[in-house]
Amino acid sequence: MAVLLPVLGLGGLLSSCETIIDANIASGSTQLAVDAWLTDQPGEQRIKLVQTANYFNNGPSTPATSASVVVGDNTGRVFAFTDPDNDGVYTWKPAKIGDTTRVGIIGRTYTLGIQYQGNTYGAVAQMPRATSIDSLIFRKKTITPVSKEEGYRSEFYAVDPAGAIDYYYLRYYRNGVLQNRPQDISLAYDGAFRGSANTDGLTFIRPIRQSLNPEKLFALNDTMRIEMRTITAEGYLFWELLRSQLQNAGLFATPPANVPTNIRNITAGGPSAVGFFFVSPVRTRTAIVSNETLRGGD
Amino acid sequence: MKQLVQTTLLTYFLGLFALTAAAQDKLTVSGYVKDAANAEGLIGVSVYSKETGTGAVTNNYGFYSVTLPKGTYTFVVTYVGYQRQSRTVALTEKDVRLDVEMTEEGRDLQELVVAARREDDNVKNIEMSVNRVGIKTIQRIPALLGEVDVIRSIQLLPGVSTVGEGATGFNVRGGSIDQNLVLLDEAPVYNSSHLFGFFSIFNPDAVKDVKLIKGGIPALYGGRIASILDVRLKEGNAKKAEINGGIGLIFSRLSYERPLFKGKDGTPRGSFIIAGRRSYADVLAQPFLTGNLKGSQFYFYDLTAKANVRLNEKNTVFLSGYFGRDVFGADFGFNWGNATTSLRWNKVFNNKLFLNTTAFYSNYDYSLDSDLRRKPENTNDYFRTNAKIVNYSIKPDFTLFLNKNTVTFGGQALLYDFQPGTATAASAGTVRTFGLNSKYALESSLYIGNEQQASTRIQLQYGLRYSFYQYLGPGEVYTFGPTETPGLRSRPLLGTQTYAAGETIKTYGNLEPRFALKYDLSASSSIKLSYNRLAQYVHLLSNTTASTPLDVWTPSTNNVAPQLADQVAGGYFKNFGGGDGNLFEASVEVYYKSLQNQIDYIDRANLVLNKYLEGDLVVGRGRAYGAEFFLKKNKGALNGWLSYTLAKTERLVDGVNANRWYPTRFDKRHNFNAVLLYDPQARSDGSRSRWSYSATFVFATGTPATFFSNRYDFENIAVGTNAENVRNNYRIQPYHRLDLAATLQGRKRPSKKKEDSWVFSVYNAYARKNPFSEYYRPNPDNLAQTQAIRYSVFATIIPSVTYNFKF
Repeated sequence: MAVLLPVLGLGGLLSSCETIIDANIASGSTQLAVDAWLTDQPGEQRIKLVQTANYFNNGPSTPATSASVVVGDNTGRVFAFTDPDNDGVYTWKPAKIGDTTRVGIIGRTYTLGIQYQGNTYGAVAQMPRATSIDSLIFRKKTITPVSKEEGYRSEFYAVDPAGAIDYYYLRYYRNGVLQNRPQDISLAYDGAFRGSANTDGLTFIRPIRQSLNPEKLFALNDTMRIEMRTITAEGYLFWELLRSQLQNAGLFATPPANVPTNIRNITAGGPSAVGFFFVSPVRTRTAIVSNETLRGGD
Repeated sequence: MKQLVQTTLLTYFLGLFALTAAAQDKLTVSGYVKDAANAEGLIGVSVYSKETGTGAVTNNYGFYSVTLPKGTYTFVVTYVGYQRQSRTVALTEKDVRLDVEMTEEGRDLQELVVAARREDDNVKNIEMSVNRVGIKTIQRIPALLGEVDVIRSIQLLPGVSTVGEGATGFNVRGGSIDQNLVLLDEAPVYNSSHLFGFFSIFNPDAVKDVKLIKGGIPALYGGRIASILDVRLKEGNAKKAEINGGIGLIFSRLSYERPLFKGKDGTPRGSFIIAGRRSYADVLAQPFLTGNLKGSQFYFYDLTAKANVRLNEKNTVFLSGYFGRDVFGADFGFNWGNATTSLRWNKVFNNKLFLNTTAFYSNYDYSLDSDLRRKPENTNDYFRTNAKIVNYSIKPDFTLFLNKNTVTFGGQALLYDFQPGTATAASAGTVRTFGLNSKYALESSLYIGNEQQASTRIQLQYGLRYSFYQYLGPGEVYTFGPTETPGLRSRPLLGTQTYAAGETIKTYGNLEPRFALKYDLSASSSIKLSYNRLAQYVHLLSNTTASTPLDVWTPSTNNVAPQLADQVAGGYFKNFGGGDGNLFEASVEVYYKSLQNQIDYIDRANLVLNKYLEGDLVVGRGRAYGAEFFLKKNKGALNGWLSYTLAKTERLVDGVNANRWYPTRFDKRHNFNAVLLYDPQARSDGSRSRWSYSATFVFATGTPATFFSNRYDFENIAVGTNAENVRNNYRIQPYHRLDLAATLQGRKRPSKKKEDSWVFSVYNAYARKNPFSEYYRPNPDNLAQTQAIRYSVFATIIPSVTYNFKF
């Protein structure tokens, strides 16, 4: 819906505005929040545990310390995560430098176990299959149709593997810096939008291919790195809803919906937790905006 | 059950025909009442005999019938804004046909505010919870960007509210927007908005009469549970050709009307009107649209047309049509619109029995397109979806005028064709189509009602409507099991069953009793009571704060039961002041409504192209109650009205808000409206100012909103969480606004037919930044920080000028 507002504004019809206001809201009960995204990359893996705070509390969050955190897979491997500096960030790293043990392996099922304040929490995640990013090119564009400011819009090509629904989370780095605006989060469902036609096994559709730098174009010689993580159906829903929280605006703002969680409290009658446990393969592609990567057309 | 009801109703109908034949010692006077200027039939004119004090009121087509013992009578014909007429009629030998033409009062008296029928209609009419707004009043209310608007005007009436500026539709007595039956010459309109709700689809140049029924709904109407908005189109000037038009900032209007089929005696046998509007924001912007935006589309238009022909004294045929469309977008965009056609046949069987038969077609469709401009380079890559709802219906309505009784009876068959959506996606040349199957349903109803003068003080209106609904094949039907956590999780799919074309999948039947009573306390005051039950078989699903044109209409199915409403209302009505005691009209009404099968969704339900959407719906109860105060001044240089509504509307849904009642999205505790029209009186030398003025002021409590209670971080993004699943735990700031307008009449040149006027208006005169919504989100520049936002649609003062002409 966001696409409408600039169009309406152009018509000179609306003089809408957003004002930041002070709002107070009563807190709900405090819960354990899990931020865990393990990958198939070698090296250190992190899991962050905090306690939920009032929605408008922008101070540092209270870490959930003194928890015991363990990850295991369905082949019997076990990884113990520890928090020696008591900041709620629990880490696992290979015993010695040069050890290329990876936590994430495609097709395996992972279990997260957390003991915290007398409760036992658990989560299960499967690491889904991946596809490769075949190419990354750029095209000359104006930033918006009415703007004179020119730059380069990226387009990547990838083919969705046939036979099952694949869910993608995409993000990108510009000159080494992760771009972290709400519109920089891109999601794909079989290489298209969820609820559109059946695109299983097709090349990613054009709106997805061009979705990565919508309002911020590249300059010549910029470096772009795309990172594609495949996720589970429930994980896709998590990101879809989180993205709509970030982009909530204007006439068509939606009422809040809790994002799902795959963390369960196994202790009977214990408080529920929030957050998510992902295990994803990471595929990347890096390109420099230059004559070799420039293409004509739209 | 159905069979029994049908038989009973039929027997009743036959009995009534027998009654007509019996009354031989009495004679009947009947006919049409029309406007002398353009021969438009006048709705709701009072025709009564001076001698007996009894009479009748013209129906929706201007027809009336009065039966009296033999004798000579003087009939008085009155209508607010028109010169009173008296006719002496000798009812001695045979029934008499009396057609009356009424002339409008001069400018001084024609300020018909809310166009009541009789001057004491407020008190004397049995109708309660009904508001009529004359098109002349609507034209004088200051309007957004100078465009007078039907829906915006009715939002100034008691019991009517809106979620906010730019919100589609309107809410009546705590009902949601899909609970209003919006009729355009009897055909239902599924989206009454242009530009998301800033304007309505009704072209004021083509509208004759607007009636909103909020309670005591007669048996004639059914299908929605909150209100009926009955918009009647003009028939077209049957006396002379006429052109009306207006040029405004946002769009322009033009209409043409004239007589048709001149007979041998030179009198026309029919007339027609055609009226069009188009916005031209895109035309004005075109020079600035270069490069990519060249050919961008953002416009809306509508075309309204109506023709009628009187075949003979007893038969008249009307054909009306509406076609409108909104298109918005550059590459990616939306396209939606309504089309309706209704064909009506008025037949006067005899001086007591009148039949109107309406056949209509209504179509509402909407689509979303990634390539609105169909660029050649996109032939291999695009994405489009579209959906529609189509209705076909036939509806005979009889009116039988008996001594002291006016009986209405009839029925309706309405076939629904829901096409919930198809999507086509093309990627690198491969095209795939995906869609949901159409859903079909047939809604049939029979009704009978009577309006009866039970004694000199007591008038009754009672009736019964039986509606029968069939959800029909072909179709795939899903059954869902109970959910483990109500309100939070989808219900699991248990099975799928396929039905053949025409097979009945599920039926629902509802008896809908209606009752109203009026008791005259004195000549100038009365009390009225009413009860009605209404059933609704279609539902609008929306998951945004404001409704959007892309919300999903869905039928009742095996998983979705029809909505039901029971309403009781009571009121006190009084007229006072002035020479005739009718200068002021006042009323106080209270109502209580109980609603069943109100649809809500589980959080994060996907409404678009979701086969299993019904498994994501949750159903609850609703209740709404309130008091409405209304004071109106009908005449004088300064006239207008004040209205105040105190109201509450709540829902109870299993699994939502910890199983406690919560306010609905459109709950507004206080709602105050003032409409003031000022037209200076003639000066002592007889000349008068060419200026007239108007002002409106509105105040309303802010609507509720749901805010997250807690947050946590994920990947350095603040994630909101509503730990206890509370609903509407926050209330946004109140809304208030003042609008002003001044109209300058053009100088009249005696030799010229042309009349013109300039309307200068100021919307939001003190530039309040009224909240449309308040919401929260992470700071877009730092996603780890949260913030609360107030969103205002019109944050500033909006002046405008419109030029209107007529010749």
